[in-house]
Formats: sequence, C-alpha cells, structure tokens
Amino acid sequence: MGTLRSLAGEELARALDRLRNPRPGGKVEAAREFGVDLTLLMEQLKLSPAERASRMHRLALAAESVRGAVRQNEA
Amino acid sequence: MNLERLIQQLCDSQVDFVVIGGWAAIFHGSVHVTNDLDICYSRDKENLRKLAAALAPFHPRLRGFPDGLPFIWDATTLANGALFTLTTDLGIIDLLAEVSGVGTFEEACASSVEVNAFGRRLRALDLPALICAKKAAGRPKDLLMLPELEGLLEASRDE
Repeated sequence: MGTLRSLAGEELARALDRLRNPRPGGKVEAAREFGVDLTLLMEQLKLSPAERASRMHRLALAAESVRGAVRQNEA
Repeated sequence: MNLERLIQQLCDSQVDFVVIGGWAAIFHGSVHVTNDLDICYSRDKENLRKLAAALAPFHPRLRGFPDGLPFIWDATTLANGALFTLTTDLGIIDLLAEVSGVGTFEEACASSVEVNAFGRRLRALDLPALICAKKAAGRPKDLLMLPELEGLLEASRDE
C-alpha cells in the first residue's frame, strides 16, 4: 500500500500545467467543460493531504454554522 | 459536527477501516464540501467490538428513524448488518461492510493509500478505486463528482 504524499517539484509543476492547459479531449478538459473550477483544484494540489483535509473541514464547519443560522431565522 | 474528532476516535480505538466517499475525495484534492464520513470497515469480530466501543460514547442512532425507536448499539448489531447510516454527537457517519465497484473491506484495503490527516495515519481509497465506486454507486450526487475526480487523476498521473 502506497502513501498519499504532497505533490512537489516536477510532479506538482506537471499537475498544475495539466490543469492550466488541459489536453484536448482529455478528462481535465471534460471537467472544465462540466463546470469544475480548475483553479480551485490547483490550489488544493499545492497543499498536503493533511492541509486539504483541514481546509475542507473548516469549510464544512462554516457551512454547518450558516445552515444552523438559517434554520434559527426560519423558526 | 466534528468529523476530525470522529476520525481521531476511530484511529485511536484501532478500528480497521478505510475512508471512502467524499472525505477520500478531499484527501486527493476534491473541493466538494461534505458533512458526513463514509467508511468501509472490517467485519472481523474483534474489529466490530472496537468499532462499537469507539462510537458508543457519541450515541450513534439510525438516521431517518424516529428518535424514540429502540436501537441497541453493540457488536452484535454490527454483526447483523452490513450498512449503517448513523448520526452521532460528532456528526454523520455511514458504515459500509462493502463498497460498490470495489468490494469487501479487504479489497478496499488493497485499493487504498495511507494518508496523514487530522494528526493521524489512516487509509483512504485510492483515486482509481474511488472513481470505480462513484461510477458503481451511480446516484446523481456520485456522478456529479466524476468529472472532478477523473480530472484530478489525469492531472496527477506519473507520465
């Protein structure tokens, strides 16, 4: 079993380049056409898996607190 | 909701599990926010005991059922089912003994990577297996994630 590591150096540069300049007919281009914001993916790939998790956990908590506030306003 | 604590609790209780679903996608770079944790767990008897004990302090109850419905949370209940959709004091967690498109816990393990997250070392489905699982699940919410996951796989490939 491998370990999910941060992308670094050449590996990161290659991934960012593929997201910045999608290959015609490829999956990245399909994602962009589907509406995926590739700049957000680029920002995530610059982070370690642990940083990605912490960031998304903070976002989930913020979304939960907004939902709670909306529910209170509606009550 | 405190999914960080939920994951830490499972790790500290030495539960054998693989993170699947939205949080596995997040480890790989997805930007889909999710408020629930999906795991595939080993049905080994000792693991069921550990899993039951790990979640017990956080009062697991079945989602979508009336609050007063009797529900005994223990290893026997776990042994009698293969899919539990639960609410706990720490948040929502779905427990699956098998993953569509991937298979049993052992097969999920074979298609997983180790991840350092939330201060712990855990296992999560690798990106190709996660894509298979989403395709096999086939629900609109799973299919919506496919373009992003396939794009991430293409972008991060070693070639």
